Amino acid sequence: MSQRVFITGYGIITSIGKNAEENFQSLVHRRSGFGELNMLETIHQKNLPSCEIKLHDQELRAATKVKDGVGFTRTTLLGLHALHEALESAQLSPSEIKQAGLISATTTGGIREFEKYFYNLLDLQQDGDFVQFADTANPGEHCEHLADQLGIKKYIATISTACSSSANAIMHGAQLIQGGHLDCAICGGTEALSKFTLNGFNALMIIDPEHCRPFDSSRNGLNLGEGAAYVVLESEASIVRKGKQPLAELKGYGNANDAFHQTASSPEGFGAMNAMKAALKTGGIATAEVDYINAHGTATENNDLSEGAGIQKLFSDHVPYFSSTKPYTGHTLAAAGSIEAVFGLMALQYQKVWPNLNFKQQMPELNIRPITEIIHQAGLKNVLSNSFGFGGNTSSLLFGSI
Amino acid sequence: MTGKPPYFINGIGIISPQKTFDNQQFLTEISAYEHNVLNCVTPDFKSYINPLQLRRLNRMLRVGLSAAIICLRDARVNTPEGIITATGYGFLEETEKFLTEVFERQEKQLTPTYFMQGTYNALAGLVALSIKCTGYNNTYVSKGFAFENGMRDAMLQVAGDLKASYLVGAFDEAASVQYIINSREHHYKTELINSLSLFESHSTGSIQGEGAAFFSISGTPSDTTWCVLNDLHTVYRPEDAETLTNELAAFLGTNKTTIGEIDAWISGIAGDTSRDVLLTNLENSLLSKTPQIRFKHLCGEYCTAASFALWLGASVLKHQHIPEIVKGSTLRFPQQLKTILVVNHYMNRNYSFYLLKKL
Repeated sequence: MSQRVFITGYGIITSIGKNAEENFQSLVHRRSGFGELNMLETIHQKNLPSCEIKLHDQELRAATKVKDGVGFTRTTLLGLHALHEALESAQLSPSEIKQAGLISATTTGGIREFEKYFYNLLDLQQDGDFVQFADTANPGEHCEHLADQLGIKKYIATISTACSSSANAIMHGAQLIQGGHLDCAICGGTEALSKFTLNGFNALMIIDPEHCRPFDSSRNGLNLGEGAAYVVLESEASIVRKGKQPLAELKGYGNANDAFHQTASSPEGFGAMNAMKAALKTGGIATAEVDYINAHGTATENNDLSEGAGIQKLFSDHVPYFSSTKPYTGHTLAAAGSIEAVFGLMALQYQKVWPNLNFKQQMPELNIRPITEIIHQAGLKNVLSNSFGFGGNTSSLLFGSI
Repeated sequence: MTGKPPYFINGIGIISPQKTFDNQQFLTEISAYEHNVLNCVTPDFKSYINPLQLRRLNRMLRVGLSAAIICLRDARVNTPEGIITATGYGFLEETEKFLTEVFERQEKQLTPTYFMQGTYNALAGLVALSIKCTGYNNTYVSKGFAFENGMRDAMLQVAGDLKASYLVGAFDEAASVQYIINSREHHYKTELINSLSLFESHSTGSIQGEGAAFFSISGTPSDTTWCVLNDLHTVYRPEDAETLTNELAAFLGTNKTTIGEIDAWISGIAGDTSRDVLLTNLENSLLSKTPQIRFKHLCGEYCTAASFALWLGASVLKHQHIPEIVKGSTLRFPQQLKTILVVNHYMNRNYSFYLLKKL
């Protein structure tokens, strides 16, 4: 008999807030993080506005108390910032932390520092402060840094499945708990903006220089963002033993592959549908019981068509409330899954449905439309959170109220 | 807590610096390398990848996809229930190419090919696309634990569906960028050695290796089963030799296996005097009476090198034969080989144990 898995805490930092409370207030008051870039050095600072966290690395270092720490990239610092809040909100003791697992997701690890010192690092004649960032092109490096900083020993893993990465981190953590390998898993993802990703997505021609418009017929691409979020998962046995009051239950999860194209989703949304279906199946929930979907909704031509079609097909006449929160935070890539998981958890806790900003025009291919005004006292019991990525990766998480 | 159901390795496909892509042979031809870098001995890719697709793929995608197809054919599985890949540095060559373009063209007029093919999950996505596998798909990039995480994930999936088959693969390339940046942390020897003399060298650092190895894992044995994977375990940064020894003893204990039952152990020593200390200690303590097999002189050191060891262990159990080239001790190897233990380390930081048994 497999164990139930509960969420006992979370931590988050995005362009709309450096903690859970600030993110919540921004969601309620429709405050977006979209704007010109000032922290990232790039020629695109003005022409490709993004959702940047307006804190310098030194400020993040001070806030996370690693002032003298060596080799902390912005990705690691954002992760650590969110992790501190997550551990505090779940009230884990040092011995519980040591026995916990850390499953962290990233698309490119510390590439921001690697690209900054690229030519210095590759010239072995050069020596200097930058040497601390020698291994930052390695995606697993940030997770070891985080584990070392927090004293996590028992199990560490880094996942990289493009934009679905941190949803898969949460799923892996849940399965480790259900398999009896861990009592507690701290799962999420972290992502700093970099020249590498900004130019990569720009080369793919899927960045909208305007504020993104998910599920709108005029949508024209995504805005990139940065941030980190982690959720603390605990086993039912651990909750009972400690008499702890969980925030919500992770009822189900689904992971599938669209197997359609390397960087595009099928127009029919097979992958999206299969991931959601699997999440409902593992959760033992009927489609009619889903109250809200926090959609992946990147505002690219392709994603919203595919995801919208998948939702329409799966829920047919009973499409639940759905919205994309990407206009608030931008697409935070590997961190998007856990950031939106936190938004889904907030929706359950505070009984609100977050509005899909910037929606005006119905997509002609769909007969469904997102929620555009906040709903209070929403009566939510079950919330789905979708995360899809390149390589055909599609994942969906199902959270239930207690 | 054991790993629960026995897991069967029902197929393997491995491309490495040795001629391993042909499952009919078991280390009959050995390649030596002189420049501290080992590159894969590759098959004719056209046997596994259609020509149209082949042209568009970088070297590691070719190597990885071919290894996956070899594995599926070996296991006689058309479409597995899921695909899991693991890598330390992924496609670092592509990342370097894209970054170089970004700098040289000053962030203007870039093409996305290198960016796309440099994504860590590019191989898992490619395999899924090539065999139309719409099931579970995941990619681990946890440095020296990536392969262990991936295998653990497969075991979790299989435990929930014993009839299912999961394709788990590791891949890492000997990228020159990685060689340079890791040299800053003394990962490689400064003097050039012959790869086959790796264990006679007495210096810090190892030699750079690479490879791609896929395994078909199921909770049900088949006609093609190589061996049983009982369990695996990871230890992160053990404080001292005693901690590692205790972890190993506990691992064997939970799996109801005594030291005496282990017919041979595969040691992941890397010929690195400063980082091999804990494994050398094991060799002289807990495992002092157990015959030893070594492998990093054949494949080099890389984040997912444990996948080579797993293939080696499975091969020994399947063929009931230990090639001379991998014998690492003067102790007599038993005639009948039933139980193999793998103990690997990456950079004296990521330690892993695998317990393998004959079917």
